[in-house]
Amino acid sequence: MADLDASIAELWDRFAPVMRRRLEVLDEAAMAAIENRLDEATRRAAEGEAHKLAGSLGTFGAPQGSEAAREVELMLEGSVPLTAAQVLRLSELVERLRGEIDHPPAPRAEEDVPADDRPTILVIDPDASFTERLVMDGAARGLRVTAVPDAQAGRRALAERAPDLVVLSVGADAQDAHALLADLAARTPPVPVVVLAVGGGFVDRVEVARLGGRGFLQTPVAPAEVLDMAAQVLANVFAAAPKVMAVDDDPQILAVLRALLEPRGVRVTILDDPRRFWAVLEEAVPDLLILDVNMPGISGIELCRVVRSDPRWQALPVLFLTAYSDPETIHRVFAAGADDFLTKPVIGPEVTARIFNRLERVRLQQRLADADALTGLANRGKSASGLQQLLRLADRYHQPFSFALIDLDDLKSINAAYGHTTGDGVLRRLGGLLAKSFRGEDVVGRWGGEEFAVGMYGMNAHDGRDRIAAVLDAFREPFATDDGLPLRPSFSAGVAEYPKDGGTVHDLYRAAAEALDKAKSAGKSQVAAAGMAPQETQNEHVEVLLIDDDETLAGLLLHALRTRGYRCRWVADGLTAAQMLTGDPPAVIARVILLDVGLPGLDGLALLRQLAQQGVTAHTRVIMLTARAGEQEVVEALGLGAFDHVSKPFSVSVLMHRIRRALEV
Amino acid sequence: MPKRILLVDDEDDVREVARLSLEVVAGWEVRTASSGTEALALAKAEPPDAILLDVMMPGVDGVTTAQRLAADPGTSGIPVLLLTAKAQTADRRRFEALPIKGVITKPFDPMQLARQVSQALGWAV
Repeated sequence: MADLDASIAELWDRFAPVMRRRLEVLDEAAMAAIENRLDEATRRAAEGEAHKLAGSLGTFGAPQGSEAAREVELMLEGSVPLTAAQVLRLSELVERLRGEIDHPPAPRAEEDVPADDRPTILVIDPDASFTERLVMDGAARGLRVTAVPDAQAGRRALAERAPDLVVLSVGADAQDAHALLADLAARTPPVPVVVLAVGGGFVDRVEVARLGGRGFLQTPVAPAEVLDMAAQVLANVFAAAPKVMAVDDDPQILAVLRALLEPRGVRVTILDDPRRFWAVLEEAVPDLLILDVNMPGISGIELCRVVRSDPRWQALPVLFLTAYSDPETIHRVFAAGADDFLTKPVIGPEVTARIFNRLERVRLQQRLADADALTGLANRGKSASGLQQLLRLADRYHQPFSFALIDLDDLKSINAAYGHTTGDGVLRRLGGLLAKSFRGEDVVGRWGGEEFAVGMYGMNAHDGRDRIAAVLDAFREPFATDDGLPLRPSFSAGVAEYPKDGGTVHDLYRAAAEALDKAKSAGKSQVAAAGMAPQETQNEHVEVLLIDDDETLAGLLLHALRTRGYRCRWVADGLTAAQMLTGDPPAVIARVILLDVGLPGLDGLALLRQLAQQGVTAHTRVIMLTARAGEQEVVEALGLGAFDHVSKPFSVSVLMHRIRRALEV
Repeated sequence: MPKRILLVDDEDDVREVARLSLEVVAGWEVRTASSGTEALALAKAEPPDAILLDVMMPGVDGVTTAQRLAADPGTSGIPVLLLTAKAQTADRRRFEALPIKGVITKPFDPMQLARQVSQALGWAV
């Protein structure tokens, strides 16, 4: 009955001036009473207006207003002069009425229609027959699924109502999807997104994960699998959301609390029948309990006492809602073990601020139990169980999963040179950076000493290596210690992929530790992938060979490649490159060649032709680096068997993405 | 055929919410009057299926209007419900003697008003 509510809200706007005029009459009477000059006519007029307010405020959704007006009406009835206490109460009631009239009525609790608590999922996917199945199968599982064909329609749907989860298909043209992902992650609370990587197209998983995408599925995929994944992500989100249980016999108050808290990511369980208190409490397991002082049957104060005497609920914070803030009530509330109290009527910002205050403290306590004291990251035990979960998730959805072991470089010498406080500061900085860089389903933990672990869902070793390398880039930025000394920290990391490098967390750890050793012995400050030991042969195997005469560009690219642990080499002219690659046996075997078109000696296209003739392109993928306007060159290069092309100038991250793609088998 | 209701209240706001609620929730046809005199004229001209009558009105009040409706053979068959903010024992006793089908208290819940009316008149909900 949203239209009735909307119409009544409109009527309220129309009649608010009338209500205010009525209130003025009451105000005048209250003022006259205070000054001891309340005459019969004013009193009768005020009684009449109070009567009218009592009859209408409740209908507009302000039942407390009706009650207050009714009390005024009864007080003014007859002609017995008011006592001093009554005069005081009268002015209080007039103020309360002013509050009710100046604050638009809250949305009414819809008592005859049970509130729709089903989780909502917005699917953004152009495949209508697929989304139709999702809508139907979702309904069968108690999920409210709506579907739109594209990001633009998605934005419109999001503006109307924030869903609990978004399923977003990302195809070849990912720009819209990426922008939408960023928007969803920036919301409070962020909307979790399951990404459907559309078959054929190569989805930049690193970018999607960086933007906050939580789960990956590769199409074609069965609707049931999408819903399974959605349910799983939702379960995690719901488990992580703070939970509040509110008990009040007034459904209005409960509706207001819900309206205030749910948009901010709090799960609210409401109960208007205190007799069901224990059953609901056990089921809801709230982080915070809100109780009304006066309820029929059992008082909130009694409930609070009982809660406090139960060892399981002793630590549960309790907030009271009271209509009266007299010292007597407040004393009773705190004596029963309450943590705080709020006065009715419930007014938005103050209530939410107090509730969030409490919740934050609870969250902090819970985190501390599982957290590493220095960095605030999950400790070893907590993150190991998180990794275990990720592994099961990856198994179930046939998704890759990467495990990274990160080790701060030269902690001992930092401690020796600058003291342990500085060393701790560097560890904290790395912890903070990791926490910021990995979200969603990823797991980050400090495993002791200078060792950190990261679990990345949906990432193969190449993707994982790239994400860790991006963190390394940020971490290497020089910073000043507390003493103002400049410091350039770095770390080394090993990345292992499930199940290729290990089938259990323990095996992955071993593989990643081996790769970490390689990174350390290769000069530190880099990321190495497991299982890439160089083969002992007479020719040199590299992953990336760069052929370009631009020294500055080469320096930049080599740095980026080495940070990511790629074995790479650089050659500046075409003739040398041709000799290197086409000898028998060739001196260098590369998996990917970055080939500049405008080379001295032998130009890029001529070199490519040679490589094709010699069969080198059969096992090596060539990415041409072309000038912006070189369409003709691109066509020719692709015709000669080039795998891909990137036009200059390009961003390093784009090129890295293309290299990862070229390295995929 | 939707029920036709005559709604009588001198308060614009209450009348409008009641009208909306009966039209939107129950789908009834609602005509309104803002005084007892107007109500008597309208009821005679186009007899509705029921009349909802506010008690406290200036001029001819609800109680008097109900008595006059009952006294006129042209309108005596129309069931009448009183709308009142006061429902104390003394009032209830006064209403018991009236030729009416029931009393609905203000403030009413707009979601429930049509149901209350149907129940009081024995209409199918």
